[in-house]
Amino acid sequence: MTETPLLDVRGLTVEAGRAEAAPRILDDVSFSLQAKRILGVIGPGGSGKTTLAHALVNWLRPPLEVTSGEIRFRGEDILAMPSDRSARLRGKTIAYVGGDPQGAMNPTMHVGEQIVEKLRAVEPGVSYKEARERAVALLGAVRIPSPEQRFGEYPFQYSGGMMQRAMIVDALIANPELLIADSITQPLDVTVGAQILKLMRELSERFDTAILFISASLPTVADVADEILVLEGGRVAEFAAVDDVISRPRHAATRKLIDELPKLWHRDGMTTAAATDKAQTVLSVQNVSRVYPIKSKSGLGKPKLLQAVRDVSFDIHAGENFGVVGESGCGKSTLMRLLTALEKPDTGHIVFDGEDIFGRGRAGTRRFRREVQLVLQDPFGSLPPQSSIGEIISEPLVIHNEGDRRQRRTRALDMMGEVGLDRSLYESLPTRLTAGQRQRVNVARAMILEPRLMIMDETLSALDQTEQSRLIDLFERLQAQHGFTYLFISHDIALVRRVCARIAVMYLGEVVELAANERLFFNPGHPYSKALLSAAPTLEDRRYRPEDCLLEGEPPSPIDLPPGCAFASRCPSAFDRCRKINPQPVYRGDHDRAACHLLQPEPVAS
Amino acid sequence: MFLLGFLTRRLAQGAVIVLLVTFLIFTLLRVIPGDPVRLMVGGMAPDTLVEQIAEEMGLRDPIPVQFARYMSGVVQGDLGQSFVRPASGAAVGGAAFDDATRGERAQVLTLIAETAPYTIQLALLAMALALLVAVPIGVFAGLSPGRWPDRVALYLGSVFVSVPNFWLGIVLALVFSVQLGWLPAIGYENFAYTILPAIVLAVEIAPFIIRTLSVSVAQVMRESYIGAAAVRGLGQTRIIMAHALKNASVPLLNLLGVQFSLLLGGVLVVEFIFDYPGLGLLTINAVLQRDFPLIQGIAIVTSVAFVMINIFVDLLATMIDPRLEY
Repeated sequence: MTETPLLDVRGLTVEAGRAEAAPRILDDVSFSLQAKRILGVIGPGGSGKTTLAHALVNWLRPPLEVTSGEIRFRGEDILAMPSDRSARLRGKTIAYVGGDPQGAMNPTMHVGEQIVEKLRAVEPGVSYKEARERAVALLGAVRIPSPEQRFGEYPFQYSGGMMQRAMIVDALIANPELLIADSITQPLDVTVGAQILKLMRELSERFDTAILFISASLPTVADVADEILVLEGGRVAEFAAVDDVISRPRHAATRKLIDELPKLWHRDGMTTAAATDKAQTVLSVQNVSRVYPIKSKSGLGKPKLLQAVRDVSFDIHAGENFGVVGESGCGKSTLMRLLTALEKPDTGHIVFDGEDIFGRGRAGTRRFRREVQLVLQDPFGSLPPQSSIGEIISEPLVIHNEGDRRQRRTRALDMMGEVGLDRSLYESLPTRLTAGQRQRVNVARAMILEPRLMIMDETLSALDQTEQSRLIDLFERLQAQHGFTYLFISHDIALVRRVCARIAVMYLGEVVELAANERLFFNPGHPYSKALLSAAPTLEDRRYRPEDCLLEGEPPSPIDLPPGCAFASRCPSAFDRCRKINPQPVYRGDHDRAACHLLQPEPVAS
Repeated sequence: MFLLGFLTRRLAQGAVIVLLVTFLIFTLLRVIPGDPVRLMVGGMAPDTLVEQIAEEMGLRDPIPVQFARYMSGVVQGDLGQSFVRPASGAAVGGAAFDDATRGERAQVLTLIAETAPYTIQLALLAMALALLVAVPIGVFAGLSPGRWPDRVALYLGSVFVSVPNFWLGIVLALVFSVQLGWLPAIGYENFAYTILPAIVLAVEIAPFIIRTLSVSVAQVMRESYIGAAAVRGLGQTRIIMAHALKNASVPLLNLLGVQFSLLLGGVLVVEFIFDYPGLGLLTINAVLQRDFPLIQGIAIVTSVAFVMINIFVDLLATMIDPRLEY
């Protein structure tokens, strides 16, 4: 190529401080990006992706600093420019969108005003009126409904996906030549993330913007990018066109990334624990609903009702892996609080082991609390930083008054061995543990009471692919040894595909479909299940094309639910009846059901 | 609509608070030892007269009855009459019980209305002085946590907060009034008399403002939207003035509300030292003379002020940060 690339990075090295032994976060990174192209950057956690993004927009914070190398933009080294000139590039010519849309804007100023503020800061000649018109037009262009009104709303009134669109508007409004997009779909639900990706591609064509697209998900990057840069341990492992990287990976790191991807449509190799026919029901959820009254802001008038969980029913059998999937706001977390007796449902019953969990008296509740254990998502917030790991793991024994000090220590040490934690960690504080080790501590703490049901609420979501696989293996081994029943609550469709025998799909507080793994993935009954499947990032050939199933817009608010089917407003095949009558579950075979007017009941196989 | 609902709800809550405070003070005043009638009529009056006057004033009725009678006056804007102070403004105490010039006693409301402006003036000046010094120091410290402005702020705050106000008051009076003769110190004749007590109070309040502001500014500066703003192309001045300070001001606002209420409630020691004719001095005298109606009146007025200031502060805070809900 003869023309100068838009961005040409040569030998970029970033170190944490100038000391001799300072850790190198980026090591001799070189690549180039032509105008109007999209370059994907991929790598496992800790490979230096975000540091690279920050270095490009001059956002490194001490102790991080560039110790050698060049970042040439249109042939001129940004790092060597006088600071006022490089400051003028920021926001105007080189724009940035990060993975934390909700935190990216001042919470006490209208979103629109901040976009106008930014535009006028980087293009001083623009009048307020013109800036406002441009902002409203672009908000409309990224398909934010009623942009005039949204212009004057605060960031907290936006949903995550909406806010990410607003941040894209903010980045593109000054017509930058280069956009750095760092993990922009990571905090979003898959269906919303897929919309954002589609939008990125359209915008890059429309505005002729080159994009550096950073993500931890290979399928996502492969979807949008022209070329891929694979980072590993701060070094460039591979830099080639997308197809080459996917079909002919040359570096071990790339192959590892590809191999670790969970397979959605491979039928073999699935080891989901299913219950035997005569297995007893451990947990039975019967027509459970939970409604929260929301006070209006003035405190006057009738409170509105937020219907978090609506008429949910399912049974979990001993020894099986049961999954609950759905996107944020679908009621998963409320359901978890109900199942663990942290909250009472407004209607319906939850029966554990043949007895209602709320009618058992003190001793019964205590017994329930040891037989059902919970492992949560956040590996960092869930461990007390001031207690040693041994204390944390043995605490449940103290609470339930079991054994003396020595026995408790022995059991905690055994447990640490079982979950793969080094026994020498017994006395140390959890501060230095990695996310994966922390989740092992959480699992050990939950298991030490030998529960019958373990509820995994997004337990694996904060971990990278490698660590996820290891923990899944651990769960399987422990299940084989102790005969647990697992309930996985997750937004990750690939995870439930891998571990769950039966899966309930939730949308706006309802279970819209409940089916065995095979049926859900190969013959889903509900259009929302199909949409979820089509949006799941994968390198495999898709069974469901996003163009056919993908949803426009976002779920309606659970506060003012429309009559009829809650999904009707986003459903590609909705018709009149859907907007009037909420469909009843239609049984397909013995146990599987889905709530859709389009389904015909299937005869029970004899 | 939001404003209307907010005000209705908060004013109703405030009325309950004021009622409770009043009842508490009313009851406490009547169960502690010491007969105000004896003080009123003077030591020479016969016991029968004391009893007779007490009966006439209703002081021998059950406390709830007295309270109901009192409150029915209060809602009509009548806070009662002082037990001791004559309406003529003559000196208190030491007179015979049959002195005719003292027959008519002063209205509590009038007494408070006469003194309150002095206290408000003192409070406003003290607050202004404190803000003038503390805001730049606090902001500067918050912008450079751990470096020298932060440390200067910390040391200055520690010194200010540990200076006893009565000592500072006396020292300032000695230096500026006695030695230099720049400012008057005792009593009140014109605005200049407010300056020294206001300085003493400002030194007392400033450390809290510095601390609150430096912590909240430092915290806001760590927020991701501040870092992101620079990357989005905003200038540093704009980021600090329009984004950081606005968000950092809510904790300060709450602090100022509380501090201002405390100032209005009477700065007893400082007003006493400077013989400043404000609510504080009035309170001290009322307590010393067991002037029940006056003490009650002051309690009601200050608790009303407290409630109103808090409503105002919360309203202001929701305007700055619409996520807040009070």
